[in-house]
Amino acid sequence: MKNLLRAAAAAVAALALTACGGGSSTDPSNVSPAGEIKPRKISWLLSRPADGAVINIMKKLAEDYAREHPGFELNLITTPDRPSYIQKLETLAAANKLPELFDTDATPFAQQLAKQGKMMDAEKLLKSLDVYEDYRPGALDYQRFDDGSLYMIPFQFELEFIWYNKALLEKAGVAVPASLDDIPAMCTALRQAGITPIAIDGQDQWPLERYIAYQPFREAGPEFVQKLKKGEAKFADPAGQKTVNWMAELGKSKCFQDGFSAQGYSDAQNQFTSGQAAMYNIGTWELPSLATEKLNPAVRDQIDFFTLPTTAGSVTAANEFVSPSGIGMAVNAKTYDPLVSDFLKFALDKYPAEYAATGALSPTTDVETAVPANATPLYQKALDQAKDLGEKQAMPWDTQLDPTTNGRLQQELVLLVQGNITPEQFTATMDNTIAQNAPKFFK
Amino acid sequence: MQTNRTLPARMLPNRSRTSVLVFLLPPLLLYGAAVLFPILQSLFLSFFSWNGISEMEFVGLDNYVRMFIADDIFWRAFLNALAYLAICLVLQLGGALVVASLLTSLTRGRELIKTLYLLPAVISTVAIAFLFVRIYSIEPVGLLNQLLHWIGLGSLERPWLSDVNTVLAAVSAPEGWRFTGLYMLIIYAALIAVPKDLEEAAVLDGAGRWTLFAKIRFPYIRPVWITTTIMATTYGLRGFDIPYLMTNGGPGQSSELLTTYMYKTAFTSTDFGYASTISVFIVIECLAAVGLILFLLKRKADA
Repeated sequence: MKNLLRAAAAAVAALALTACGGGSSTDPSNVSPAGEIKPRKISWLLSRPADGAVINIMKKLAEDYAREHPGFELNLITTPDRPSYIQKLETLAAANKLPELFDTDATPFAQQLAKQGKMMDAEKLLKSLDVYEDYRPGALDYQRFDDGSLYMIPFQFELEFIWYNKALLEKAGVAVPASLDDIPAMCTALRQAGITPIAIDGQDQWPLERYIAYQPFREAGPEFVQKLKKGEAKFADPAGQKTVNWMAELGKSKCFQDGFSAQGYSDAQNQFTSGQAAMYNIGTWELPSLATEKLNPAVRDQIDFFTLPTTAGSVTAANEFVSPSGIGMAVNAKTYDPLVSDFLKFALDKYPAEYAATGALSPTTDVETAVPANATPLYQKALDQAKDLGEKQAMPWDTQLDPTTNGRLQQELVLLVQGNITPEQFTATMDNTIAQNAPKFFK
Repeated sequence: MQTNRTLPARMLPNRSRTSVLVFLLPPLLLYGAAVLFPILQSLFLSFFSWNGISEMEFVGLDNYVRMFIADDIFWRAFLNALAYLAICLVLQLGGALVVASLLTSLTRGRELIKTLYLLPAVISTVAIAFLFVRIYSIEPVGLLNQLLHWIGLGSLERPWLSDVNTVLAAVSAPEGWRFTGLYMLIIYAALIAVPKDLEEAAVLDGAGRWTLFAKIRFPYIRPVWITTTIMATTYGLRGFDIPYLMTNGGPGQSSELLTTYMYKTAFTSTDFGYASTISVFIVIECLAAVGLILFLLKRKADA
């Protein structure tokens, strides 16, 4: 028995040690490897809707490529649920078993992978394929790490708006807010008229986390969260206090539907599209359900949107807001070879035209989005916003903070908005959490 | 060994004893690989700081010190887990005992009622979680709030899963409800095995319903009761899926259990070392709970 234990312990140690060793064999900056293209099956681990445009197009392009290169196959493994996906990705990274292509946001975890040379330099890669200049600067910036390096390739470009119901605002006698600071009073008026001010998907947590990013983006610019996540800025700072107090205000004014923390994505959307809630903060990926004839006829003509309001003394402009290019695709440096390179060249060249034809905004500027036949005028209005964007963009905080801080922030935020904790308690807890966890991630 | 062989052993010739061992070995190895090995691995990892892709750093007892002294969520999750366990046990064992006792006095429709009570145990967990999210909902109004409204208790209407005071009970109830039927079946089977003549003799001696239950029936089913208690306790301590699916531990940490906290620490925070520390605690906690139950119930039986 003793021997058995000893053997087991040795096995554990061996397993654990092999798991953390093993770097990459390819130089992450060697984007055009020499050699013959040997078709084989490659995999893309991704987190996108199973029958969405990106997957359908890439499937088709892979089939086209396979016709010229028999033996090639693109295996798409999708986990649309983001938290489950991240867990899968991190587990595979820990086991050093990442596939040829994998999705990730520009998270601190991804940056560690990049630092270890596990991902190809996407800027060099795109330049070598001669497509770099086609990309919208904003689409690439969204994928960049804080040091400006680029390791992920975008496949989408989205704009986030606050959609609203004109009739409901009118009924409550309120106007579109000129400043973020007008929103709490607006909520109070809407509540008095018996209207739910904002429908929010509380279950997935990121939608509420968007709101805490708004005030600091206006007050201190995109640098605030970059400093905050490293512990160089604090929630106790003026910009931090402004957002904490504003979030508490939103809660006190009952801006979000009752019991929002247990309501899901479709619950929130239904409340807005059925005319029960006055506002709904979501991106252009929902254009097919918000700006086409699919939308409930009773509210169809009542719907409009406004972009993120500014504030007095705002350091960012009205045309600068959240404009994400979605989760990016990273190229595994270990498995990068002439085949992967050649396939990417083929696919990235043809992708934008196919994608724009589906009515979505391409991450590149060389194609025109086709507005679907059943679109309402709002569709074109939304697309036009992409033509006039400022240089800065508000980054969603869930892609910025270290995962432990992010998890705690999402939890504490619900408590703050529900009034279960005071702004002071929130500030103390979060600053403490960042101080504990940030150093490990950003050393 | 040769001289004091027990009777059953002597019934097996030597060769077949070896073959019994041969047949027992594969499941034992499987058990070792699937259960003991991961536990040992967790124990090993709990002394390290490791995020999956970094170098493993030996930190000694740091993780344990952090768990016991510096981590407010850990203690919150531990107390929540105990409350969750208590609610599950009351619903599962208490509910099962009551229903089973009532069933024995029923003459018709027993099978139907048994099946109805057992039904939740065969529905998938995910379906149950979604079902209860709807039941507890307030906007749009769910079944529970609607019922309260109808019976004139409108003041009690609330978002059960968003209220920090009710959420823990709200996520525990589905788990309790789900397995009440299963334990009811087991206890019912034990109850109908109580000899009728014993009960009749007690009734002739003037025993009331309660005395009959406390002095005759319950002592008779005690061994089955111990087994069901151990089963329900260990299941309760390992409870994970329903709270995770319904609230993901929220709002705040109001419905965070040790299991959900460990899962998040491992797979969201990628702090595998610390998550292993928590899992070691869960293993010890389960063993301690079973030991305590056996000790308490055995002492009672001996007394």
